[in-house]
Amino acid sequence: MQNNILSRGLVSLIVVLFLLPLQSIAQDLSAREIMEKLEDTRRATSNSALSRMQLSTCKFGVREGKITCAERPRVKSLESVGKGYGLNLKDTRSVAILLDPPAERGIGMLSFSYDEGARDNETWLYLSALGRVKRLASGSSDDETEPGSLFGSEFSTEDQDTGKLDEYEINLLEETLESGREVWKIETIPNEKRARQSRYSRTVLYVDKERFVELRVEMYDQYGKEIKRMLGARVELMNGIWVARSTTIMNLVTNRLSNMAFLEMHTGIDVPDEFLTQRTLTDAAFRETELEKLRAQID
Amino acid sequence: MKKLAGLAATTLLVVLNPANAQDNVLILDNDVPFDGDFIFDDDLFGGAFDENSSANTRSWLDDFTIKISQQFSGQANNHGVKITPGFSIPREAELETNRLGANIRYQNAFAPGWLLQASAQIRIYLNNDYQYRAEGDSVDIESRGNEFFLQRSFDQHSIKLGRQTVVWGETSGNSVLDVINTTEFRDFNIIDIEDARLNQWMLVWDYFGENSNFSSFVNLYPEFNPAAVRGSPFFFEPEFNLTDYDRDSSMLFEAGTQWRKSFEGSDISFMVAYLYENQLRYEDPAMRIGDAAAKTNDFFLLGFSANRAIGKLLLNFDLAYSHDVLADSFNFPGTASLANPINLKKDQIGSSLGFEYAISNEQTVSLGIQAQMLLDEDEGLLPGQSLINEGVFGSWLMRYSNTLMNNDLVISSTLQGDLAANSLLALLGAEYTINDNWSIGGQIINITSNDESPLLIFAEDVRLSVTLTYSF
Repeated sequence: MQNNILSRGLVSLIVVLFLLPLQSIAQDLSAREIMEKLEDTRRATSNSALSRMQLSTCKFGVREGKITCAERPRVKSLESVGKGYGLNLKDTRSVAILLDPPAERGIGMLSFSYDEGARDNETWLYLSALGRVKRLASGSSDDETEPGSLFGSEFSTEDQDTGKLDEYEINLLEETLESGREVWKIETIPNEKRARQSRYSRTVLYVDKERFVELRVEMYDQYGKEIKRMLGARVELMNGIWVARSTTIMNLVTNRLSNMAFLEMHTGIDVPDEFLTQRTLTDAAFRETELEKLRAQID
Repeated sequence: MKKLAGLAATTLLVVLNPANAQDNVLILDNDVPFDGDFIFDDDLFGGAFDENSSANTRSWLDDFTIKISQQFSGQANNHGVKITPGFSIPREAELETNRLGANIRYQNAFAPGWLLQASAQIRIYLNNDYQYRAEGDSVDIESRGNEFFLQRSFDQHSIKLGRQTVVWGETSGNSVLDVINTTEFRDFNIIDIEDARLNQWMLVWDYFGENSNFSSFVNLYPEFNPAAVRGSPFFFEPEFNLTDYDRDSSMLFEAGTQWRKSFEGSDISFMVAYLYENQLRYEDPAMRIGDAAAKTNDFFLLGFSANRAIGKLLLNFDLAYSHDVLADSFNFPGTASLANPINLKKDQIGSSLGFEYAISNEQTVSLGIQAQMLLDEDEGLLPGQSLINEGVFGSWLMRYSNTLMNNDLVISSTLQGDLAANSLLALLGAEYTINDNWSIGGQIINITSNDESPLLIFAEDVRLSVTLTYSF
C-alpha cells in the first residue's frame, strides 16, 4: 500500500512538474496547440479512471439578480470507469452505472468510442426489465442528427467529445480575464462536414492559461445566437490533473441548466480489460467485486 | 368511467402540487435574450460536495428499491360484438382495474463474488377491480415472489441458482427464441413481454471467455403459462376446468446452452435446448366428465440469432428450428380445451426479423415480424382433419417512441397484428416523470378484429388506463 501511495505521489509530482513550465511557454502556443493541450487534459480525466459524479438538472429562473433553480433539481448519481485504447490511447471504452434515482438504479451502459471517423461507436445497454444486454442503434459518429443528451441532462455527447480538431477552424481571439484568471479566448468553427453533425456553428472557449481548463464556453447556433453557456468552477488538482469539479451548462433557449459535480475522480487506476465488457452489465456479482478492487486501489 | 377520471385527476393534482417549485423565483420565458453577462453562483450546487462526505455511509436500506403504484383502467366504449349472425354480446364501458401495488427489489453483493437478488410484488384489488368483483365485492390481496437467486462469480465463471429469467433472441417483443420463461398476460395493462415474463427455478452457468461467452441453464421444475384469472378480460368460462399439469411421478426438466460472440458492429449467438412449450394443450376430458386434460409439449430447439448495427439502423434476426413439436396446439391467454386434438409431432421452423431505427436521439422506430410454419404439415392428417395453425402464421409488432423534455416525457405508440391481418391492437402511451420519485403514465388501446381472430371479443374496445408511481 505504501509503495502504491508513493508511486501515485510520484506520478502526480511528475505531472505537476510537466504542467508548470507550460505557463512560461504559454505565450508561444498557437490556438491549435492550446486546444490540443486542453483535449489532453480532458482525455486524462477518463483514461484508466474511476469517477463518481452527480448530475443535477432544473429549470432556471432569476432571484435577486442571480440565476437559480426554479424547481427542485432532478439528481442522478453515477459511477463511471474508463480506459484509453488504440493509437495514442485515443479510443475509449467506458462503463457507466446509475446509482440513483432508485427507479433507474443499476441501469448500465457500455460504450466503445473510436477516434477514427470511419468506425461507428458502439453502445450496449442493460435493463433488468429487458433481461438481456441490448445493442443500441444510437447512431454513428457521422450521424447527421443532433448529439444525444447525457442521461437526460443538458450535457450532450458533443459537449463531452474530444478529438477531430482537424475538422475545425481555430482562432485565438484575445487574451483576457475570466473569473479573475488569465485566459485565452479561442473560437472554433466547424468545417462544412462537421457542421452537419453539430448543433453549434461556432464555439468560444475561455481557457485558463495556467491550468488548461475551460472556465467558460459559449455555444452559438447557425444564426449566431448564443444557445448554451458552460461555466467551469471549483478547479482543483485531482490526481495531478486540473479538473473543473463543478461544471454547469445552461440552455439559454429552454432555460434549463445541468450541473455535473465530480465528487470523486481517480486516475492511474489499473482497469482490467475484462471489466470493460458486457459481463459488467449482466453479472452484478462480478461488477461489484471488481468495483471494490478498483476502489481499493484508491484507498 | 367518471369515477376513473375523477380519481386520476385528484391524484394528479396532489402529485403536481407545486411543492417542488422554489419561491420568489422569476420564471423566464423560453428563448429570453441573454445579451449581457448574468450572475451565476456555483454554490447553487455546492451541496453535492457536502454530500460526498456521507456517500460512503451505506445503509442496508440502500439494497432495496421500492415502487408503489396506483392503477386505474377500463373499457370506455359502449358497443356490441357480433359473435354470430343475429347474436351479439354487449360490451359496456366499465372500470376493470383499481389496484394499489408495490414492487420490491433487493440486490446485495454481500461478499466478494457473491450476490443475492430477490423481487416480489403485492397487489391490493380495490373497489370495482375485476378481482374485487370476482371475490364477491371484497378487497383482495395477492402477493407473488418474482426473482430469488443466489449468484457466485469467480474467474471466468458465474453460477446463479434460484428463480430467474433467461432471455434468448434479439428481436424485441416477439422473438421466436424468447421461449424459455413462461408468461402471464393477465389483462391489457400488460402488453410488453418484458412485463409478462415469469421467473422459474433454474441453475444458470455463464462462462465468459476471452472472445466469446457460453450461457447454459437447467430447469428441474418447468412451469407453464398460468390459466386466465377468473374475472379478468381474458377469462372465458370454459366448458371444462383448465387445471394445472398433474406431474404425477413424471420427471420434467429443461436444459439449454447458448454460445455468443461479439464483433465490431454485430453480435451473434447459436443455441440448442430441450424445452416444453410454455402453453399447455388442454383436451376435453374422457367421457366429457371432469376437468380438461393438460398435455405437455416437449421439443428440441436449435437457434441462431444475430444483430448488425449500421449507423442509426440496427437489424435483428432470429431463427428457430423446433423438432418434434406437438402440431395441434393453441397459444392464446384464454386457451380452451380441444374436442378433437390431433396428436401429431412435427418439425417447425420460425423466424423473427426486425429493425430498430434511431430517427434522432429522441425518436426511435422499430418493426419486428415473427413467422412460423410447420414442415410437412399435411403429413399424417386424416381426410377432413386440419390443424389449428396452417401455413405460415405469426405476428408483427411496430413501435415508435419519442422522448421529450430531457427524457421527462416519453410518448410511445405500438401497433400489433397477426400476419393474416385478422386483428390489430393499437396503443398510444405517455409516461411523464414528475420528479425523481413520482411518475405518471397513461395508455389508450384500441382493438380491431374480425371473426377469424381470438381477439374478436375485444373488437372495437377502447381501453384507457392511468398509473401513478412512487419509487424510492
